[in-house]
Amino acid sequence: MIDTMLDVYQLTLRSLREVVRQPAFEVQNYFIPLFFFAVTVGALGNVSERAFGLENYRAFAMPVAILQGAAGGASYSALAMVTDIERGYFDKLLLTPTPRISLVLGRLFGDGIRVVIITAVILIVGAIFGTGMEAGVAGYIAILILAGLFGLAYAGFGLAIALRTGSPQAAQAGFLIFFPLLFLAPAFAPKEFFSPWLEFLATINPVTYILEGMRALISEGWDWEKIGAALLAIAVLAAINMPLALWALRHRTA
Amino acid sequence: MWALYLAPAALRPSAVTFVTLACSSTLDIIGVVASAIVARGLRRIFPPDLAAVDGIDLDIEEGRIFGFLGANGSGKTTTIRMLTTLLRPTEGSATVDGYDVVKDAAKVRARVGVALQEASLDLVMTGRETLLLQARLYRVPRGEVRQRVGDLLRIVDLEEAADRRVGTYSGGMQRRLDLAAALVHRPRIVFLDEPTSGLDPISRNTIWRYVEDLNRNDGVTFFLTTQYLEEADRLAHEVAIMERGRIVAQGAPAELKASIGADVVTVRLEDRNAQPDRALAAVKAIGGLTDVRVVGDSVVVYTKDGSSAIAPIVLALNEATVAVEEVTLARPTLDDVFLRKTGHHIEAQDREPEGVEGAAS
Ligand SMILES: Nc1ncnc2c1ncn2[C@@H]1O[C@H](COP(=O)(O)OP(=O)(O)O)[C@@H](O)[C@H]1O
Ligand SMILES: [Mg+2]
Repeated sequence: MIDTMLDVYQLTLRSLREVVRQPAFEVQNYFIPLFFFAVTVGALGNVSERAFGLENYRAFAMPVAILQGAAGGASYSALAMVTDIERGYFDKLLLTPTPRISLVLGRLFGDGIRVVIITAVILIVGAIFGTGMEAGVAGYIAILILAGLFGLAYAGFGLAIALRTGSPQAAQAGFLIFFPLLFLAPAFAPKEFFSPWLEFLATINPVTYILEGMRALISEGWDWEKIGAALLAIAVLAAINMPLALWALRHRTA
Repeated sequence: MWALYLAPAALRPSAVTFVTLACSSTLDIIGVVASAIVARGLRRIFPPDLAAVDGIDLDIEEGRIFGFLGANGSGKTTTIRMLTTLLRPTEGSATVDGYDVVKDAAKVRARVGVALQEASLDLVMTGRETLLLQARLYRVPRGEVRQRVGDLLRIVDLEEAADRRVGTYSGGMQRRLDLAAALVHRPRIVFLDEPTSGLDPISRNTIWRYVEDLNRNDGVTFFLTTQYLEEADRLAHEVAIMERGRIVAQGAPAELKASIGADVVTVRLEDRNAQPDRALAAVKAIGGLTDVRVVGDSVVVYTKDGSSAIAPIVLALNEATVAVEEVTLARPTLDDVFLRKTGHHIEAQDREPEGVEGAAS
């Protein structure tokens, strides 16, 4: 058990080191969400505040940027895994006595930690531009935790695809799936303004609850019901993606 | 230098011997030598119906170098992947150091060292990082890790390059690093899949020396695949020749060579258009020869006494009006064994040396 934890620790370090040495991939995970944040706030901010009766559209838009950054950061595992498989390095790892699960966890934790860092930077930039934080300093920490857990849960999906297919294109496609999920959630307007079919889709979309949980912390404060729903939605994602990733891994050595 | 491999290990031989014998009790023990690798009817089918490995039996004793010889696509890598738990056999069974490769996969993994075909390395890590991670995942005691990695880097002559990224290494350096990575935990059984393919002669020789030293000084068992006959001849105590998933010949190189008759007479015909069939018939009619075959533009004759066979052969061809370009007499090589068993020469795919070894090595 302790051996396995040490293995996971070493593999997580390896995953983080890779990103430090190949920063090109990581830069977009900061740049794209902040760019969209600036553009949406600039273009829709005034209109939306009036139309939706919002006090601060920046606060409203911030969680969207965070989830974009988190999903981008959490898609690294899948690409790195495909590279390992193509290079044959993954076989070398499979040949070691470490339990299979540590190969998956090492990647997932690497993503989770990077997502927390990405989120911290996005939160800081947001704070500078006046998003505010109703839940106080602890609210920032709560958002970091939510984002990190979301990153862990979400990364499992891409990892499953990477392990199952070994194909870079497929791994990429796994990441793109996030966009419909994000835009079928109340990303730009509150759910009350959705047409009924979209509102229905938003209601069954787990991303909705993660978004609303973070949004509550920023614009309302400690709304435990919404925070609980966000945690539950993350748990649902994890409950689907984790077994999927482990199944794909087992399939690889059959 | 290789004493380094043995030094701390000297503390455990009795324990190891005990364990090995204890778990080998279900296997054949011939005298006191236990089997390191055993396979029975090992088969792997790839969908829809390609029998990459088509029912092979192996009995490899501890302390031996076993050469697995075969052309590209003959099933060498598939065999290694099954023996090292990366791939499930479709049928049959195998044990390594007494442990079943399917049921006790984790135990097998902890006991063997493996260097796969095409050095499988992460190009973004440095050489030292590669070995450190490897040592940790193989559970080398924490206090020994740095020392062990330092020793290995020295042994494979990568000390200077240790802190550079693997992506900057030459092919020979990568192969040496890959070999070192297979040795971090001092395995008693090491699998090497084409360890010298594509290497220049100097790098190839270096790898050969490592293998020989480890085997001679520390009794490490090697299972190595190769497309190079001279490699098998030089290193292996025993070879098996693979052809389309089956073992077509197996034994000590000297035994195999002796088995095909004492001498090989090769008669190259003058004209490529000459009817080799007529030549074949003419030579076969002589009688008393072990075997006669046509290979390309030559007739190859296996016979107990080559020198006294030359005259009748040339005479017979002359009578059949087949013009002879050249006649050579040779002791049999593994190439002749291969030819005899498979009907063709082995074709190594990537013979070209890959340029001069990196200056930093
Ligand atoms: N994963 C696989 N799926 C399908 N066919 C495979 C796979 N791996 C190997 N093969 C096929 O099995 C045969 C044996 O391959 P291999 O064991 O790699 O031979 P060798 O190592 O002797 O060159 C080849 O025809 C190869 O194309
Ligand atoms: Mg091969």
